[in-house]
Amino acid sequence: MSDLRTLAAAFVVTLATITGGAALTGFVTADGAAPAPEIQNEHYVDGDAIANDTPGRMDVEMESAARSQTVLVDPGVEPTGAVPVSPLALLGFGGPEVADRDVRPLANALIENGHDVGVYVPDPEQQRRAVPPGAEQGPTQLGERLAEADAFVTFRTDYDEAELDEIESFVESGGHVVVATEPDAAFDQPGAVGLDATLDVTTEPGYVYNMEENDLNYQRVYAEPTGESDAALTEGVDRAVLPSATPVGTTIAGSDVLRPVEGSELSTTRASTEAPLLVRTDGVVMVGDSDFLSPENAARADNDALIGNLADFLVTNDRTPPGPEGQRSPTGPTGPTEPGQPSEPRQPSGNETAG
Amino acid sequence: MSTKQPSTALTSRQQLAVVVVAAAVVGAVLAPSVYAATNDPDDTVAVVEIEGPVTSALADDVESELADIRANDSVGAVVLKLDTPGGAPVASERMYKAVQRTSEQMTVIASVQSMSASGGYYAMAPADEIYVLPTSTVGSIGLNAPAPRNTAPVQGPSGPDKAGGNEIQAWAEQQTLADTFVDAMMAERGDEFKMPREEVAQADVYLGTEAVQNGYADEIGSLNEAIHAAATAENLGEYEVDTRETGPDTGFPILLRTDTQVVAVHANDPGYGEVEPMGLTYVHLEAVPHVDTVERFSESDLDRGGAAAGTGATGNETARLTGGVGA
Repeated sequence: MSDLRTLAAAFVVTLATITGGAALTGFVTADGAAPAPEIQNEHYVDGDAIANDTPGRMDVEMESAARSQTVLVDPGVEPTGAVPVSPLALLGFGGPEVADRDVRPLANALIENGHDVGVYVPDPEQQRRAVPPGAEQGPTQLGERLAEADAFVTFRTDYDEAELDEIESFVESGGHVVVATEPDAAFDQPGAVGLDATLDVTTEPGYVYNMEENDLNYQRVYAEPTGESDAALTEGVDRAVLPSATPVGTTIAGSDVLRPVEGSELSTTRASTEAPLLVRTDGVVMVGDSDFLSPENAARADNDALIGNLADFLVTNDRTPPGPEGQRSPTGPTGPTEPGQPSEPRQPSGNETAG
Repeated sequence: MSTKQPSTALTSRQQLAVVVVAAAVVGAVLAPSVYAATNDPDDTVAVVEIEGPVTSALADDVESELADIRANDSVGAVVLKLDTPGGAPVASERMYKAVQRTSEQMTVIASVQSMSASGGYYAMAPADEIYVLPTSTVGSIGLNAPAPRNTAPVQGPSGPDKAGGNEIQAWAEQQTLADTFVDAMMAERGDEFKMPREEVAQADVYLGTEAVQNGYADEIGSLNEAIHAAATAENLGEYEVDTRETGPDTGFPILLRTDTQVVAVHANDPGYGEVEPMGLTYVHLEAVPHVDTVERFSESDLDRGGAAAGTGATGNETARLTGGVGA
C-alpha cells in the first residue's frame, strides 16, 4: 500500500510541477499585445488645420443713377439645335461654363436698378443661312443684338471676323464691354487672340496661385487694388477673390486695376507675379476670371462691391443705340435720374444660359 | 573448479558509453528548443510590404502585421518596403498611426522601391529613416480632389447637407484635409525638410537623388541596405529577415482616374460593383493612368501587335475594344 501511495504522490507532484511550471513560464513570457502607449499628435488636435467654412454674405449695390440701359450678356452658349460636337454634350457635359446662376449677382443688380439685361444665344437656323454671292453681308446675329445694347458682357472669346468688327465699332461708339476670361480659355484654338487684339487687351497663359494666403485653395487668389487707376472700379474693394485667374493686360499704361496679393505666383514660371488680373481701358474691362461673379463667390471678401462697381461701369457709358428702340433720350452719367421710379425692368430675353 | 563466466555487469567504460549515448539522444531532442531559446530574442528584422494603392484592405493588413510585430519579442527592427502612389486618406492615416506606434518601440526604416508618394509618404513619415533608390519617386504631399460644384437642388433628403452642399463649405473641407496631411508631415519631418511649409504644400514629387538633398529622404540605399541598417541600429548581430506580405489576397485594386475623380477597380474585367469611386484622395495623380489611356488586351492582340506592353491587361468597360499599342 505504501508503495502505491508513494507512486501516486510522485505522479501528482510531477504533474503539478510540470503544469505549474508551464503556467508560470507562460505568464512570464506572455506575448499578447501590451497596453498601447498614449501618443499625442498635437498637429491633429490643435485646431489650426480646420478651415473656416462660413460662406459669407453678399450685398451687391450700384451707385450709378444712369437711366435704363440695355446690357447684353454672351454666356458662350453654342447655337441650340446644332449638332453637338461631343456626344457628352447631350448628357449635359461639355456645355457652357457660365450658367444662369453664375451671372445672377451682376444681372440682378442691373435689373433692380432698372436696367435691361439680354442674353445672346445664337439661333442655329439663322446661322446656317448662306449669303448669296455678291450680296452684301448684313449684320451678324450678335451685331443685331449689339445694335440695341449699351453695354456688353461676354464670357466667350472665339468670335469670327464679322463679329469682331461689330464689337470694335460697338466700343468705338461708346459702348462699355466687360470680358471675363479664364485660364483654360488659352487651351482652345487661338480665337481669343482676335478678341484681345480687337479690344487692345492681352491675356497671359497660365494661372495665378498663392500658397501663403488664399481663399481656401491655392488657386482662389486674393486681388487688391493697384491704386494706379480708376478708383470707381475699386471703391469699397479692399480685396476680391478670383478663383482660377489668368493675368491680363492692356496696351495703355496706368490701366491696371486689380493685382494679386503678395506671395502670388504664375503657374508657367513658378515665379512671383504682380501682373494685373483686372484691367480697364476707356470702354473695356478685362478680367482674368469669370467665376468671381457666381453667388457663392460674390459672398467672398469684397467681391460684392466689385460686382456692383462693374455694374456701374456697364451702365455709365456714352453710347446711344441706333436700334429699333431708336432715338431714346441720351444716356450716360449726366442723364436725368429718378432712382425711386426705375423704368419697368424687363426680364432677360433668354434663359437658355442655364442649358 | 572455477569456470570464468562472462560477467553480465557492464564495465565502467561501457557504462560511460551508455550514459554518453543516452545524453546525446536526449540532447539531440532538446537541442532545437535550447537553440531557439538562446537564439530567439531580437534576432529578426521584419520586412512589411506596403505595395499598391492605399486602401482600407491594405491598411487592415499593415496595422495587423505591425501590431503582431510589436507584440513579438523576437522582432528587433522593422523595414517598410514601399511601392505605392498613395490612395485613400483614412487608410493612409491608419498606416501612419501604426508606423508611428511601432517606431516608438523599435527602429523602423522605410525603403522606397519605385515610388512612395502622397498617402504612401504619409504612411512612412514616422519611420526613423527613409531609404530611397536614386530614381525612386517620393513626395506629393497634398490632396487630390475635384473642384466643388454646385448642383441643382435635390428634393427628398432630410437636410441641406445630406445630399448636397455648399461650394464654399466643400472648399473648406478640402483645405482642411490637405492641411491635416501637410501639418502631419511638418510635425514628422519639418526639421528635415529644407524648404518652408508653403513649398511642401505645393505637393511636388522628387527623385531619390534630390530627395536626400531636400530632406524628403535620408539615405540612398536598397532594401538590403535598409535591412542591414535597421539590424545595426538595434545591435542585432546575426539576424534573420521575415518578409510579411500585405494587401488583399486577390491582388490590389487598380487605380484609374476619370476627368473628375479617381476610381479603384477591383478586378481585371470589372463589372459595376467592382468599381469604387474614391473622390478625395491622397494620391499622386501622375502615377494613376487615365481611363482613356487604358485599353483591353487579349492574347491575340499581344501576338499580333507585338509592341503592346505597358498598360497591361487592365481592361475597362469604357476602354476601346480595339487592341494594339496602349497610350
